[in-house]
Amino acid sequence: MDNAKKWQIPVFITFLLLGFLLSVQFRTQQIFLSDLSLQKTDDLVLMLKKLHDKRGELAKELSELEKQQRTFNADVNAGETLTKGLRQDYQRQQIALGLLPVQGPGITITISTDSPIVYLDLVDIINELWASQAEAIAVNEQRVTPWTNIFWNKQNLSLTMNGREIAFPCTIKAIGNPEKLESGLRLLGGVLDHLAIYKVYPVIKRHQNLELPAASPPDIRYLTATNSE
Amino acid sequence: MWLPLLGLLIGIVIGSTLYIPIPGAFAKYLSVAVLASLDSVFGGLKSILEDRFDGAILLTGFFTNALLAALLAYLGDRLGVDLYLAAVFAFGVRLFQNLAIIRREVLAGWLKKRHLAAARENKNGQC
Repeated sequence: MDNAKKWQIPVFITFLLLGFLLSVQFRTQQIFLSDLSLQKTDDLVLMLKKLHDKRGELAKELSELEKQQRTFNADVNAGETLTKGLRQDYQRQQIALGLLPVQGPGITITISTDSPIVYLDLVDIINELWASQAEAIAVNEQRVTPWTNIFWNKQNLSLTMNGREIAFPCTIKAIGNPEKLESGLRLLGGVLDHLAIYKVYPVIKRHQNLELPAASPPDIRYLTATNSE
Repeated sequence: MWLPLLGLLIGIVIGSTLYIPIPGAFAKYLSVAVLASLDSVFGGLKSILEDRFDGAILLTGFFTNALLAALLAYLGDRLGVDLYLAAVFAFGVRLFQNLAIIRREVLAGWLKKRHLAAARENKNGQC
């Protein structure tokens, strides 16, 4: 027993230190071996080859993705152009229908209060203006649209347009080529000549910039396009 | 018997929990030191089995062998002589010699015990 005690303590100490040294060395060696500079040349070559292959694959993938991105961008651009075109189209239609306030060069025709004028004269003037390539017409700040009506109201004895009485002096505004519009009205044997017979002398003025109001949109309930897709 | 094994276990646990970074250049010297200490430990075990054990010799041998091995390897590197290989060779040979002696001692002890037991049984049978 005494003998056993004598050897156990030093052996315990040496074993403790040995264990410590072993584990430290083990770990150091693990780290050491994973270091690239200590790898075998063959392994390094293999690794290099693998990495090179992988790089090639990734480069291919990158180029593919870039191609994809380009097509996407092109698609987006096409979509944007389409939207832009549609919006322009829509605006043009609205302008043509008189649903948007518009401005441009043109003429004004003012008919004084005491003129003996009938609704047909007004219709004649408007027709002549359309014939002279007017692009938009308004009578007393009311746009003339495809659904405009002008008539003589027998109940309250007044010239009526779109259900509203036309007050005099009446001003007709037309946007278009001012010269063309005026010459159209002044045509020999034309509207103004005809009105002159009744001693009606409308005042015509040219303008660089006229502003016409918008009409309220029509009430569409029964209409559908025949060839709508 | 269990105390040295416990010591080994504790040492391993301490070594793996504490992170002691050893620079790559010194890893080689540490490996020689570990080899030297392994040799010392087996030498110690051999001396226990041969009943010639001395704690002081074991401890001093353990430290000096380890340190000297590392120092010699280092010196060899400085001088351009591969003393490292010499240390590995020397300690490796001694290690295997020690192991062989330990094996023989253990085997002899075991055989002796069995022989004694057999003789005792024979005696008991005769009685």
